[in-house]
Amino acid sequence: MDVSAILLVGVAQNDSAASGAAGETVLGVPIATLDVLGRPLVHRVAQHLLASGVSRVAIIANSDASIPAGMRQGLPSEAQLIVADAEHVWREGERIFEELSDSGAELVIVWRLGAYAEIDVETLLQAHLDQGARTTEVCDANGQSLELFVVCGSRRNDAAYLFRHQLLGTRMPGCDYKFYGCCNRLRTAADLRELTIDGLMLRNLLRPVGHEIRPGVWVGQGVRIQKGARLVAPCYVGSYSCIRPAAVITRGSTIEHHSEVDCGTVVEGANVLPFSYLGAGLDVCQAVVGYNKIAPLRRPVEVEITDPKLISMASQHAPVRAASTVGALFSFLPLQLIRGLLSKTQPEQPTDLQTALKESSAALREPAAHPIASQDSAKFPNNMIVARRYGNE
Amino acid sequence: METSRPVVVKRMPERLNLRTARQFEREVQPFLASDRPQVVFDLSQVRHLDAAGVDMLLRCLQQAMKRDGDLKLAAPSDHALTILELTRTDRLFEMYETSTDAVRSFTYFLPNAMRPFPIVPQPAGSASGNALQPRAA
Repeated sequence: MDVSAILLVGVAQNDSAASGAAGETVLGVPIATLDVLGRPLVHRVAQHLLASGVSRVAIIANSDASIPAGMRQGLPSEAQLIVADAEHVWREGERIFEELSDSGAELVIVWRLGAYAEIDVETLLQAHLDQGARTTEVCDANGQSLELFVVCGSRRNDAAYLFRHQLLGTRMPGCDYKFYGCCNRLRTAADLRELTIDGLMLRNLLRPVGHEIRPGVWVGQGVRIQKGARLVAPCYVGSYSCIRPAAVITRGSTIEHHSEVDCGTVVEGANVLPFSYLGAGLDVCQAVVGYNKIAPLRRPVEVEITDPKLISMASQHAPVRAASTVGALFSFLPLQLIRGLLSKTQPEQPTDLQTALKESSAALREPAAHPIASQDSAKFPNNMIVARRYGNE
Repeated sequence: METSRPVVVKRMPERLNLRTARQFEREVQPFLASDRPQVVFDLSQVRHLDAAGVDMLLRCLQQAMKRDGDLKLAAPSDHALTILELTRTDRLFEMYETSTDAVRSFTYFLPNAMRPFPIVPQPAGSASGNALQPRAA
Protein backbone atom coordinates (compact mmCIF):
# COMPACT_ATOMS: atom_id res chain seq x y z
CA MET A 1 0.00 0.00 0.00
CA ASP A 2 1.33 3.43 -0.97
CA VAL A 3 1.25 5.77 2.01
CA SER A 4 2.46 9.37 1.95
CA ALA A 5 2.58 12.07 4.60
CA ILE A 6 2.23 15.83 4.79
CA LEU A 7 3.80 17.56 7.78
CA LEU A 8 2.87 21.18 8.51
CA VAL A 9 5.47 23.11 10.49
CA GLY A 10 5.20 26.58 11.99
CA VAL A 11 1.62 26.84 10.78
CA ALA A 12 -0.80 28.50 13.16
CA GLN A 13 -4.52 28.02 13.19
CA ASN A 14 -6.93 30.95 13.32
CA ASP A 15 -8.42 29.95 16.66
CA SER A 16 -5.25 28.46 18.06
CA ALA A 17 -5.83 30.27 21.33
CA ALA A 18 -9.19 28.58 21.70
CA SER A 19 -7.81 25.14 20.93
CA GLY A 20 -4.95 25.63 23.37
CA ALA A 21 -2.35 25.53 20.63
CA ALA A 22 -1.25 29.12 21.21
CA GLY A 23 2.47 29.47 21.57
CA GLU A 24 4.25 26.42 20.18
CA THR A 25 7.28 28.65 19.77
CA VAL A 26 10.35 29.18 21.89
CA LEU A 27 12.57 32.23 21.36
CA GLY A 28 10.40 33.08 18.35
CA VAL A 29 11.07 29.77 16.57
CA PRO A 30 8.54 26.93 16.17
CA ILE A 31 9.48 24.19 18.61
CA ALA A 32 9.10 21.46 15.99
CA THR A 33 11.94 23.01 13.98
CA LEU A 34 14.37 23.22 16.90
CA ASP A 35 17.18 20.77 17.41
CA VAL A 36 16.57 18.17 20.09
CA LEU A 37 19.56 16.01 20.97
CA GLY A 38 21.39 16.79 17.77
CA ARG A 39 18.64 16.82 15.17
CA PRO A 40 15.58 18.96 14.36
CA LEU A 41 12.41 17.40 15.66
CA VAL A 42 10.68 17.58 12.30
CA HIS A 43 13.52 15.59 10.74
CA ARG A 44 13.09 12.94 13.41
CA VAL A 45 9.35 12.72 12.77
CA ALA A 46 9.94 12.45 9.00
CA GLN A 47 12.56 9.76 9.59
CA HIS A 48 10.20 7.85 11.88
CA LEU A 49 7.43 7.95 9.26
CA LEU A 50 9.77 6.80 6.50
CA ALA A 51 11.06 3.98 8.68
CA SER A 52 7.47 2.93 9.34
CA GLY A 53 6.75 2.38 5.67
CA VAL A 54 5.64 5.80 4.45
CA SER A 55 7.02 6.26 0.95
CA ARG A 56 7.15 10.08 0.71
CA VAL A 57 7.01 12.92 3.20
CA ALA A 58 6.24 16.52 2.22
CA ILE A 59 7.12 19.10 4.87
CA ILE A 60 5.29 22.40 4.42
CA ALA A 61 6.87 25.21 6.42
CA ASN A 62 5.50 28.66 7.00
CA SER A 63 7.96 31.21 5.63
CA ASP A 64 6.67 33.87 8.04
CA ALA A 65 7.72 31.77 11.02
CA SER A 66 11.43 31.89 11.81
CA ILE A 67 12.58 28.57 10.41
CA PRO A 68 16.19 27.79 11.39
CA ALA A 69 18.60 27.25 8.51
CA GLY A 70 19.56 23.87 9.98
CA MET A 71 16.09 22.55 9.25
CA ARG A 72 16.65 22.90 5.50
CA GLN A 73 19.75 20.69 5.60
CA GLY A 74 20.06 17.02 6.35
CA LEU A 75 16.56 16.02 5.31
CA PRO A 76 16.07 12.37 4.31
CA SER A 77 16.13 11.88 0.54
CA GLU A 78 12.46 10.82 0.44
CA ALA A 79 11.41 14.00 2.24
CA GLN A 80 10.72 17.27 0.49
CA LEU A 81 10.61 20.74 2.06
CA ILE A 82 8.12 23.28 0.70
CA VAL A 83 8.09 26.81 2.03
CA ALA A 84 4.93 28.88 1.68
CA ASP A 85 3.77 32.13 3.20
CA ALA A 86 1.16 32.16 5.94
CA GLU A 87 -1.73 33.04 3.64
CA HIS A 88 -1.13 30.23 1.20
CA VAL A 89 0.18 27.49 3.46
CA TRP A 90 -3.15 25.68 3.81
CA ARG A 91 -3.81 26.01 0.06
CA GLU A 92 -0.34 24.56 -0.52
CA GLY A 93 -1.27 21.61 1.68
CA GLU A 94 -4.32 20.99 -0.44
CA ARG A 95 -2.23 21.13 -3.61
CA ILE A 96 0.37 18.73 -2.26
CA PHE A 97 -2.39 16.32 -1.24
CA GLU A 98 -3.70 16.33 -4.83
CA GLU A 99 -0.18 15.75 -6.15
CA LEU A 100 0.36 12.80 -3.84
CA SER A 101 -3.04 11.41 -4.75
CA ASP A 102 -2.27 11.74 -8.45
CA SER A 103 1.01 9.92 -7.99
CA GLY A 104 -0.77 6.93 -6.49
CA ALA A 105 -0.91 7.48 -2.73
CA GLU A 106 -3.73 5.40 -1.29
CA LEU A 107 -3.50 6.87 2.19
CA VAL A 108 -2.13 10.24 3.24
CA ILE A 109 -1.14 11.15 6.77
CA VAL A 110 -1.69 14.85 7.48
CA TRP A 111 0.03 16.10 10.62
CA ARG A 112 0.45 19.59 11.99
CA LEU A 113 3.50 19.76 14.31
CA GLY A 114 2.27 20.74 16.87
CA ALA A 115 2.41 17.97 19.26
CA TYR A 116 5.06 15.28 19.18
CA ALA A 117 3.70 11.74 19.37
CA GLU A 118 5.41 8.44 18.81
CA ILE A 119 2.69 6.93 16.68
CA ASP A 120 2.84 3.31 15.61
CA VAL A 121 2.01 4.02 11.98
CA GLU A 122 1.21 0.43 11.10
CA THR A 123 -1.37 0.11 13.88
CA LEU A 124 -2.89 3.48 12.98
CA LEU A 125 -3.27 2.59 9.31
CA GLN A 126 -4.72 -0.82 10.18
CA ALA A 127 -7.27 0.86 12.50
CA HIS A 128 -8.19 3.28 9.71
CA LEU A 129 -8.69 0.46 7.22
CA ASP A 130 -10.67 -1.66 9.70
CA GLN A 131 -13.07 1.16 10.41
CA GLY A 132 -13.52 1.88 6.73
CA ALA A 133 -13.70 5.60 7.37
CA ARG A 134 -12.76 8.40 4.97
CA THR A 135 -10.74 10.18 7.63
CA THR A 136 -9.41 9.08 10.98
CA GLU A 137 -8.43 11.61 13.59
CA VAL A 138 -5.83 10.74 16.22
CA CYS A 139 -6.59 11.88 19.75
CA ASP A 140 -4.59 11.56 22.94
CA ALA A 141 -5.73 9.69 26.05
CA ASN A 142 -7.78 12.71 27.15
CA GLY A 143 -9.61 12.88 23.85
CA GLN A 144 -7.79 16.01 22.64
CA SER A 145 -6.89 16.06 18.98
CA LEU A 146 -3.24 15.67 18.06
CA GLU A 147 -4.00 17.32 14.70
CA LEU A 148 -2.96 14.12 13.01
CA PHE A 149 -5.29 12.65 10.38
CA VAL A 150 -5.28 9.71 8.04
CA VAL A 151 -7.16 10.52 4.84
CA CYS A 152 -7.93 8.16 1.96
CA GLY A 153 -6.05 9.33 -1.14
CA SER A 154 -9.18 9.23 -3.26
CA ARG A 155 -11.17 11.50 -0.90
CA ARG A 156 -10.02 14.83 -2.27
CA ASN A 157 -13.09 16.71 -1.11
CA ASP A 158 -12.58 15.51 2.45
CA ALA A 159 -8.95 16.55 2.27
CA ALA A 160 -9.86 19.95 0.83
CA TYR A 161 -12.39 20.50 3.63
CA LEU A 162 -9.78 19.49 6.19
CA PHE A 163 -7.18 21.95 4.89
CA ARG A 164 -9.67 24.78 4.36
CA HIS A 165 -10.78 24.40 7.97
CA GLN A 166 -7.18 24.26 9.15
CA LEU A 167 -7.50 20.71 10.50
CA LEU A 168 -10.17 21.83 12.95
CA GLY A 169 -12.98 19.74 11.50
CA THR A 170 -13.76 16.97 9.04
CA ARG A 171 -16.35 17.01 6.25
CA MET A 172 -18.04 13.80 7.34
CA PRO A 173 -18.06 12.41 10.86
CA GLY A 174 -14.94 10.28 10.93
CA CYS A 175 -13.46 7.89 13.42
CA ASP A 176 -11.23 8.68 16.31
CA TYR A 177 -8.10 6.74 17.05
CA LYS A 178 -7.05 6.99 20.64
CA PHE A 179 -3.34 7.10 21.16
CA TYR A 180 -2.02 6.10 24.57
CA GLY A 181 1.72 6.23 23.86
CA CYS A 182 4.39 8.86 24.38
CA CYS A 183 3.04 12.29 23.56
CA ASN A 184 4.19 15.85 24.21
CA ARG A 185 2.14 18.91 23.27
CA LEU A 186 5.24 21.09 22.74
CA ARG A 187 3.50 24.36 23.57
CA THR A 188 6.09 25.95 25.83
CA ALA A 189 9.79 25.88 26.62
CA ALA A 190 8.99 23.61 29.57
CA ASP A 191 7.52 21.04 27.16
CA LEU A 192 10.71 21.19 25.10
CA ARG A 193 12.76 20.56 28.23
CA GLU A 194 10.53 17.65 29.20
CA LEU A 195 10.94 16.09 25.77
CA THR A 196 14.71 16.49 25.99
CA ILE A 197 14.86 14.91 29.44
CA ASP A 198 12.70 12.01 28.24
CA GLY A 199 15.14 11.50 25.36
CA LEU A 200 18.17 11.53 27.62
CA MET A 201 16.52 9.16 30.07
CA LEU A 202 15.59 6.85 27.17
CA ARG A 203 11.88 7.22 27.92
CA ASN A 204 11.04 7.98 24.27
CA LEU A 205 12.45 7.15 20.86
CA LEU A 206 14.60 10.29 20.56
CA ARG A 207 18.19 9.15 20.74
CA PRO A 208 21.08 11.60 20.97
CA VAL A 209 23.09 11.96 17.77
CA GLY A 210 26.57 10.89 18.81
CA HIS A 211 28.12 8.30 21.02
CA GLU A 212 27.95 7.62 24.73
CA ILE A 213 31.35 8.28 26.28
CA ARG A 214 30.15 7.49 29.81
CA PRO A 215 26.80 6.22 31.06
CA GLY A 216 24.34 9.02 30.32
CA VAL A 217 26.91 11.35 28.76
CA TRP A 218 26.53 11.71 25.00
CA VAL A 219 28.80 13.68 22.72
CA GLY A 220 28.69 14.31 18.99
CA GLN A 221 31.42 14.40 16.42
CA GLY A 222 34.37 16.78 16.81
CA VAL A 223 33.46 17.97 20.31
CA ARG A 224 36.19 19.80 22.26
CA ILE A 225 35.94 19.27 26.00
CA GLN A 226 38.83 21.15 27.53
CA LYS A 227 40.68 20.21 30.67
CA GLY A 228 38.75 20.90 33.85
CA ALA A 229 35.33 20.92 32.21
CA ARG A 230 32.80 18.59 33.80
CA LEU A 231 29.99 16.70 32.13
CA VAL A 232 27.59 15.21 34.64
CA ALA A 233 25.11 12.60 33.39
CA PRO A 234 22.62 12.87 31.88
CA CYS A 235 23.75 15.42 29.35
CA TYR A 236 24.44 15.84 25.66
CA VAL A 237 27.03 17.90 23.79
CA GLY A 238 26.39 18.28 20.07
CA SER A 239 28.93 18.04 17.28
CA TYR A 240 31.72 20.63 16.96
CA SER A 241 30.80 22.25 20.26
CA CYS A 242 33.39 23.51 22.68
CA ILE A 243 33.27 23.27 26.45
CA ARG A 244 35.91 25.50 28.01
CA PRO A 245 37.78 24.82 31.29
CA ALA A 246 35.81 24.75 34.56
CA ALA A 247 32.46 24.74 32.75
CA VAL A 248 29.86 22.32 34.12
CA ILE A 249 27.11 20.70 32.08
CA THR A 250 24.64 18.91 34.29
CA ARG A 251 21.06 17.86 35.06
CA GLY A 252 19.86 16.88 31.64
CA SER A 253 21.38 19.82 29.80
CA THR A 254 21.93 19.73 26.08
CA ILE A 255 24.46 21.78 24.16
CA GLU A 256 23.51 21.60 20.50
CA HIS A 257 26.01 21.61 17.65
CA HIS A 258 28.54 24.42 17.05
CA SER A 259 27.89 25.95 20.46
CA GLU A 260 30.46 27.19 22.92
CA VAL A 261 30.32 27.28 26.70
CA ASP A 262 32.98 29.58 28.08
CA CYS A 263 35.09 29.13 31.22
CA GLY A 264 33.34 28.57 34.52
CA THR A 265 29.81 28.65 33.18
CA VAL A 266 27.33 26.25 34.74
CA VAL A 267 24.61 24.89 32.48
CA GLU A 268 22.01 23.17 34.61
CA GLY A 269 18.79 21.76 33.22
CA ALA A 270 19.00 23.93 30.11
CA ASN A 271 18.78 23.56 26.35
CA VAL A 272 21.43 25.52 24.47
CA LEU A 273 20.41 25.85 20.83
CA PRO A 274 22.85 25.52 17.91
CA PHE A 275 25.52 28.19 17.22
CA SER A 276 25.08 29.74 20.67
CA TYR A 277 27.87 31.25 22.72
CA LEU A 278 27.57 31.39 26.50
CA GLY A 279 29.96 33.82 28.12
CA ALA A 280 32.29 33.09 31.02
CA GLY A 281 31.08 32.63 34.57
CA LEU A 282 27.38 32.44 33.86
CA ASP A 283 24.74 30.35 35.57
CA VAL A 284 22.29 29.08 32.97
CA CYS A 285 19.71 27.25 35.00
CA GLN A 286 16.35 25.85 33.84
CA ALA A 287 16.19 27.76 30.60
CA VAL A 288 16.28 27.53 26.83
CA VAL A 289 19.04 29.66 25.33
CA GLY A 290 19.72 30.62 21.73
CA TYR A 291 19.30 33.24 19.03
CA ASN A 292 20.59 35.92 21.45
CA LYS A 293 17.70 35.22 23.78
CA ILE A 294 17.01 33.31 26.94
CA ALA A 295 13.69 31.81 28.00
CA PRO A 296 13.77 30.94 31.71
CA LEU A 297 11.30 28.22 32.61
CA ARG A 298 10.45 29.85 35.93
CA ARG A 299 8.99 32.96 34.33
CA PRO A 300 6.85 33.29 31.21
CA VAL A 301 9.22 35.72 29.51
CA GLU A 302 11.79 35.64 26.77
CA VAL A 303 14.63 38.05 27.35
CA GLU A 304 16.72 39.38 24.51
CA ILE A 305 20.36 39.82 25.45
CA THR A 306 22.32 42.35 23.46
CA ASP A 307 25.58 42.02 25.33
CA PRO A 308 27.81 39.59 23.42
CA LYS A 309 29.83 38.98 26.59
CA LEU A 310 26.84 37.17 28.05
CA ILE A 311 25.10 35.37 25.22
CA SER A 312 25.65 35.66 21.49
CA MET A 313 25.35 33.73 18.26
CA ALA A 314 28.19 32.38 16.17
CA SER A 315 27.98 32.57 12.42
CA GLN A 316 26.48 29.59 10.66
CA HIS A 317 29.24 29.76 8.04
CA ALA A 318 32.48 28.01 8.94
CA PRO A 319 34.87 30.49 7.18
CA VAL A 320 33.26 33.42 9.01
CA ARG A 321 33.63 31.61 12.33
CA ALA A 322 37.28 30.85 11.61
CA ALA A 323 37.96 34.45 10.57
CA SER A 324 36.35 35.86 13.69
CA THR A 325 38.38 33.50 15.90
CA VAL A 326 41.63 34.56 14.22
CA GLY A 327 40.62 38.22 14.44
CA ALA A 328 39.86 37.89 18.15
CA LEU A 329 43.22 36.20 18.72
CA PHE A 330 45.26 38.93 17.02
CA SER A 331 43.24 41.86 18.38
CA PHE A 332 43.36 40.72 22.02
CA LEU A 333 46.73 42.21 22.98
CA PRO A 334 46.33 45.57 21.16
CA LEU A 335 42.86 46.01 22.68
CA GLN A 336 44.20 45.38 26.17
CA LEU A 337 46.95 47.95 25.62
CA ILE A 338 44.49 50.55 24.36
CA ARG A 339 42.15 49.94 27.27
CA GLY A 340 45.01 50.25 29.71
CA LEU A 341 46.15 53.53 28.20
CA LEU A 342 42.75 55.15 27.89
CA SER A 343 40.97 53.96 31.02
CA LYS A 344 40.59 56.33 33.94
CA THR A 345 42.75 55.42 36.89
CA GLN A 346 41.44 58.01 39.34
CA PRO A 347 37.77 57.81 40.26
CA GLU A 348 35.87 61.06 40.10
CA GLN A 349 35.47 62.86 43.37
CA PRO A 350 31.93 62.63 44.69
CA THR A 351 29.97 65.81 44.99
CA ASP A 352 28.39 66.98 48.21
CA LEU A 353 25.46 64.86 49.50
CA GLN A 354 23.04 67.77 49.68
CA THR A 355 23.99 68.89 46.17
CA ALA A 356 23.55 65.35 44.89
CA LEU A 357 20.09 65.14 46.42
CA LYS A 358 19.01 68.24 44.56
CA GLU A 359 20.46 67.23 41.22
CA SER A 360 18.19 65.69 38.63
CA SER A 361 19.20 62.38 37.13
CA ALA A 362 20.85 62.47 33.75
CA ALA A 363 20.84 58.69 33.46
CA LEU A 364 17.11 58.54 33.90
CA ARG A 365 16.61 61.28 31.26
CA GLU A 366 13.11 61.94 32.45
CA PRO A 367 11.91 62.51 35.99
CA ALA A 368 10.16 59.73 37.84
CA ALA A 369 6.42 59.93 37.58
CA HIS A 370 5.70 59.06 41.18
CA PRO A 371 3.56 61.66 42.92
CA ILE A 372 5.03 63.21 46.00
CA ALA A 373 2.75 62.20 48.80
CA SER A 374 4.00 63.88 51.93
CA GLN A 375 5.10 67.41 52.51
CA ASP A 376 8.45 66.33 53.82
CA SER A 377 9.36 64.59 50.60
CA ALA A 378 8.72 67.72 48.56
CA LYS A 379 12.24 68.87 49.27
CA PHE A 380 13.67 65.90 47.44
CA PRO A 381 14.01 66.04 43.67
CA ASN A 382 11.63 64.08 41.55
CA ASN A 383 14.10 61.35 40.68
CA MET A 384 13.85 60.16 44.27
CA ILE A 385 11.01 57.75 44.71
CA VAL A 386 11.09 57.29 48.47
CA ALA A 387 13.25 58.91 51.09
CA ARG A 388 12.37 57.85 54.56
CA ARG A 389 13.86 59.00 57.79
CA TYR A 390 13.66 56.95 60.91
CA GLY A 391 15.23 56.63 64.29
CA ASN A 392 14.16 59.16 66.85
CA GLU A 393 11.30 60.42 64.71
CA MET B 1 21.39 53.88 68.27
CA GLU B 2 20.10 54.91 64.85
CA THR B 3 19.83 58.63 64.28
CA SER B 4 17.92 59.78 61.22
CA ARG B 5 20.02 58.18 58.55
CA PRO B 6 18.18 58.49 55.27
CA VAL B 7 17.37 55.54 53.06
CA VAL B 8 17.92 56.67 49.53
CA VAL B 9 15.90 55.04 46.78
CA LYS B 10 17.16 55.55 43.26
CA ARG B 11 15.28 54.44 40.22
CA MET B 12 17.55 52.87 37.65
CA PRO B 13 17.32 53.85 33.99
CA GLU B 14 15.50 51.71 31.46
CA ARG B 15 18.64 50.89 29.53
CA LEU B 16 21.71 50.14 31.61
CA ASN B 17 24.70 49.85 29.32
CA LEU B 18 28.27 51.05 29.74
CA ARG B 19 27.45 54.75 29.20
CA THR B 20 24.33 54.96 31.35
CA ALA B 21 25.90 52.76 34.02
CA ARG B 22 28.82 55.21 34.37
CA GLN B 23 26.42 58.13 34.43
CA PHE B 24 24.27 56.46 37.05
CA GLU B 25 27.27 55.50 39.17
CA ARG B 26 28.44 59.12 39.20
CA GLU B 27 25.02 60.17 40.41
CA VAL B 28 24.91 57.70 43.28
CA GLN B 29 28.49 58.29 44.36
CA PRO B 30 27.56 60.91 46.99
CA PHE B 31 25.08 58.56 48.60
CA LEU B 32 27.49 55.65 48.62
CA ALA B 33 30.31 57.81 49.93
CA SER B 34 28.34 58.94 52.98
CA ASP B 35 28.71 57.28 56.36
CA ARG B 36 26.94 53.88 56.55
CA PRO B 37 24.93 54.42 53.38
CA GLN B 38 21.51 52.83 53.06
CA VAL B 39 20.61 52.71 49.42
CA VAL B 40 17.84 51.01 47.47
CA PHE B 41 17.94 50.68 43.70
CA ASP B 42 14.55 50.38 42.05
CA LEU B 43 14.88 48.13 39.00
CA SER B 44 11.25 48.16 37.95
CA GLN B 45 11.93 50.09 34.77
CA VAL B 46 15.04 48.26 33.67
CA ARG B 47 14.49 46.69 30.27
CA HIS B 48 18.08 46.26 29.12
CA LEU B 49 20.85 45.29 31.48
CA ASP B 50 24.24 44.18 30.31
CA ALA B 51 27.53 43.14 31.90
CA ALA B 52 28.55 46.76 32.47
CA GLY B 53 25.33 47.35 34.42
CA VAL B 54 25.91 44.28 36.58
CA ASP B 55 29.50 45.39 37.14
CA MET B 56 28.28 48.80 38.25
CA LEU B 57 25.82 47.22 40.70
CA LEU B 58 28.61 45.14 42.22
CA ARG B 59 30.87 48.18 42.56
CA CYS B 60 28.09 50.09 44.30
CA LEU B 61 27.47 47.16 46.67
CA GLN B 62 31.17 46.95 47.40
CA GLN B 63 31.36 50.65 48.20
CA ALA B 64 28.29 50.55 50.41
CA MET B 65 29.53 47.55 52.36
CA LYS B 66 32.98 49.06 52.71
CA ARG B 67 31.35 51.88 54.65
CA ASP B 68 29.27 49.49 56.76
CA GLY B 69 26.14 50.26 54.79
CA ASP B 70 24.02 48.20 52.46
CA LEU B 71 22.59 48.31 48.97
CA LYS B 72 19.31 46.54 48.30
CA LEU B 73 17.39 45.99 45.11
CA ALA B 74 13.67 46.51 44.71
CA ALA B 75 11.03 45.51 42.19
CA PRO B 76 13.37 43.93 39.66
CA SER B 77 11.80 43.54 36.24
CA ASP B 78 11.77 40.13 34.59
CA HIS B 79 14.62 41.19 32.34
CA ALA B 80 16.76 42.46 35.20
CA LEU B 81 16.05 39.41 37.31
CA THR B 82 16.95 37.06 34.47
CA ILE B 83 20.27 38.82 33.90
CA LEU B 84 21.04 38.89 37.61
CA GLU B 85 20.35 35.17 37.85
CA LEU B 86 22.38 34.50 34.73
CA THR B 87 25.38 36.32 36.12
CA ARG B 88 24.94 34.78 39.59
CA THR B 89 24.69 38.20 41.20
CA ASP B 90 21.12 37.73 42.46
CA ARG B 91 22.43 35.89 45.48
CA LEU B 92 24.64 38.82 46.52
CA PHE B 93 21.82 41.32 46.89
CA GLU B 94 18.81 41.47 49.09
CA MET B 95 15.84 41.85 46.79
CA TYR B 96 12.32 42.98 47.58
CA GLU B 97 9.12 43.17 45.64
CA THR B 98 8.61 46.88 46.23
CA SER B 99 10.74 49.85 47.13
CA THR B 100 8.68 50.33 50.27
CA ASP B 101 9.54 46.83 51.45
CA ALA B 102 13.19 47.44 50.72
CA VAL B 103 13.16 50.69 52.68
CA ARG B 104 11.35 49.07 55.60
CA SER B 105 13.85 46.24 55.64
CA PHE B 106 16.48 48.67 56.91
CA THR B 107 14.36 49.20 60.01
CA TYR B 108 12.57 45.91 60.49
CA PHE B 109 13.44 42.29 60.09
CA LEU B 110 11.48 40.92 57.13
CA PRO B 111 11.72 37.15 57.42
CA ASN B 112 10.40 36.35 53.95
CA ALA B 113 12.23 39.04 52.10
CA MET B 114 15.54 37.29 51.68
CA ARG B 115 15.25 34.18 49.57
CA PRO B 116 13.70 32.74 47.51
CA PHE B 117 12.46 35.49 45.25
CA PRO B 118 9.61 36.26 44.60
CA ILE B 119 8.45 36.65 48.13
CA VAL B 120 5.78 34.27 49.33
CA PRO B 121 2.59 36.29 49.88
CA GLN B 122 1.53 36.66 53.48
CA PRO B 123 -2.03 36.15 54.70
CA ALA B 124 -4.38 39.08 54.33
CA GLY B 125 -4.14 41.67 57.03
CA SER B 126 -0.56 42.80 56.65
CA ALA B 127 -0.05 46.20 55.06
CA SER B 128 2.42 45.04 52.45
CA GLY B 129 3.46 41.66 51.12
CA ASN B 130 5.55 41.03 54.22
CA ALA B 131 4.62 40.80 57.83
CA LEU B 132 6.38 43.69 59.50
CA GLN B 133 7.47 43.04 63.04
CA PRO B 134 9.45 45.67 64.91
CA ARG B 135 12.81 44.47 66.01
CA ALA B 136 12.98 43.85 69.72
CA ALA B 137 14.76 46.60 71.58
